[in-house]
Amino acid sequence: MPRGLWTTTVGSFPKPPHLERARNRFARGEISEAELRQLEREATIEVIRSQEEIGLDILVDGELYRGDMTTYFAELMDGFEISNPVRSYGNRYYRKPVATGRVRRTRPWTVDWWKFAQSQTKKPVKGMLTGPYTMMDWSFNEHYPSREALAMDLAEAIREEAMALAEAGAKFIQVDEPAISVRPEELKLAVKALGRAVEGVKAKTITHICYGDFDVIYPALLDLPVDMIDLEMANSRYDLLDRFRQHRFTKEIGYGVLDVHSHRIETKEEIKQGILRGLELLRPEQMYIDPDCGLKTRTVEEAKEKLAVMVAAVREVREERGITA
Amino acid sequence: MKIETTLSGSFPKLPLEPGAPNVRVIRNRMDQGKATQEELADATRETTKRILALQEGAGVDIPVDGQVAWDDAQTYLARGVPGFTIAGLIRYLDTNTYYRQPEITGPVSWKHPVTAEDFKAAQSMAHRPLKAVLPGPYSLYRFSRDLHYKDVNEGLRAVGEAVSREAKALEDAGALGLDLVEAPESWDLIPEVPAGKTVALGLVDARNTKLEDPARVAEGVRKARSMRSDLSWQLCPTASLEYLPVDRAAMKVARLTEAARLAS
Repeated sequence: MPRGLWTTTVGSFPKPPHLERARNRFARGEISEAELRQLEREATIEVIRSQEEIGLDILVDGELYRGDMTTYFAELMDGFEISNPVRSYGNRYYRKPVATGRVRRTRPWTVDWWKFAQSQTKKPVKGMLTGPYTMMDWSFNEHYPSREALAMDLAEAIREEAMALAEAGAKFIQVDEPAISVRPEELKLAVKALGRAVEGVKAKTITHICYGDFDVIYPALLDLPVDMIDLEMANSRYDLLDRFRQHRFTKEIGYGVLDVHSHRIETKEEIKQGILRGLELLRPEQMYIDPDCGLKTRTVEEAKEKLAVMVAAVREVREERGITA
Repeated sequence: MKIETTLSGSFPKLPLEPGAPNVRVIRNRMDQGKATQEELADATRETTKRILALQEGAGVDIPVDGQVAWDDAQTYLARGVPGFTIAGLIRYLDTNTYYRQPEITGPVSWKHPVTAEDFKAAQSMAHRPLKAVLPGPYSLYRFSRDLHYKDVNEGLRAVGEAVSREAKALEDAGALGLDLVEAPESWDLIPEVPAGKTVALGLVDARNTKLEDPARVAEGVRKARSMRSDLSWQLCPTASLEYLPVDRAAMKVARLTEAARLAS
């Protein structure tokens, strides 16, 4: 019997409203760090339970203790300062890292959170990091002579963390590179930096990419030195499959079937159709089924409902096709 | 010879001082039903005033209004022109920012001024003539998705016509200078500029917080002048300063005008 179609998520889960309020209160100095951490731990336990209830195969810690996906790491490193808020889009703003010296990892960033999350479940929990190319592209650089120099120092630091996660027992380590698809002329640099970040890491390595112009970077994307590439399939209405038809997708794939930017809950039937279309071109053991991107922009309820439909759809496809987990 | 300084397009909307009128806060409160459209209009006006004062204080010769009401460089105009609809998020150039992509879904037909009232309001608060800024037709077309016109030239012509009627409306509203923002220039293009034209030299990096040395920027101005004596020059940032934190954007403006003084 073929195995495959394992279910997982891309990383972030929505922060429950009471945790958002607590983060704001912490920022204003109204509660202590210890109080915030306690609430984050409780919310993380809740996210792990929720993923088990839904029946996902590979879990995440939900990243409830992180704000922005670059700033969180930069704040823990030497060599970065954090800017005043910069507009991202619409009315969204974020504080952007500024490299003002040599960037270095001087302490673990996520290992304790990973251990804590893993201690709550028997299912595997993924280690979740942001990649060197994206960290570089989304930071200001006042120190390094080139983009490459900053990216490669970041790669060293990220590799140390990935090694520490593998050492702690993480079987899956995802190093996200959402920025990779924007400057096709820098794909080589991105491949080199990500390659260094996961070099010698004894775990299944994954990278997530989004918002891209895939006409330009596919199939060169397959050069990324990881075991699995996680892609948004649903929000381009599975258009990427046409490219896979022209050039076979050779790695394992995180196959996104939920549009995370839409409030609408997908139907089981449309998700099944999306998976079945994928199975025309991909082997089940190549496919991990997940949402298009992190779920942090949805509400807690929307995220649960979307994932529950996804898992139900995968179960039916497995049954119909005689595939086991 | 004096070199004039100018900015392009949008400027950070957040205030330097905590507690000052803040469109971000008002928009958040509007989303929760706790603030009104008038409060947003007030905050937009106060923010525009602050951006104008910052430029005047630094001695910018040809200030801009900062496009406080604009979500991005394209959609504000596109929203007001029939034929365009606004679609999903797309990454904007080489920034970590996104904009909603305009789609051309019908004949592009300009009906009424979209930006002229804003311009007049800003001009009434300023002490010197402002430059109006519109997306260039090529950029607006390129950043949009054409689902209507079968032929690129036909689509480009229609968008060009709409931009030019908007430009005329701005002229009628009193705008003297007008920037149609198109792809950045480079040193290589300077020899090809027709004699008598004005070239804006983008010598202050709008994408990085690292501050330029005004003396080196002034050297760049001298280099340009030595290449062509038959052109007029302006000094500006490489792009809009909106994607910098407001404190750095203000420092960049100060460096810009300081460089212009050294080069004059």
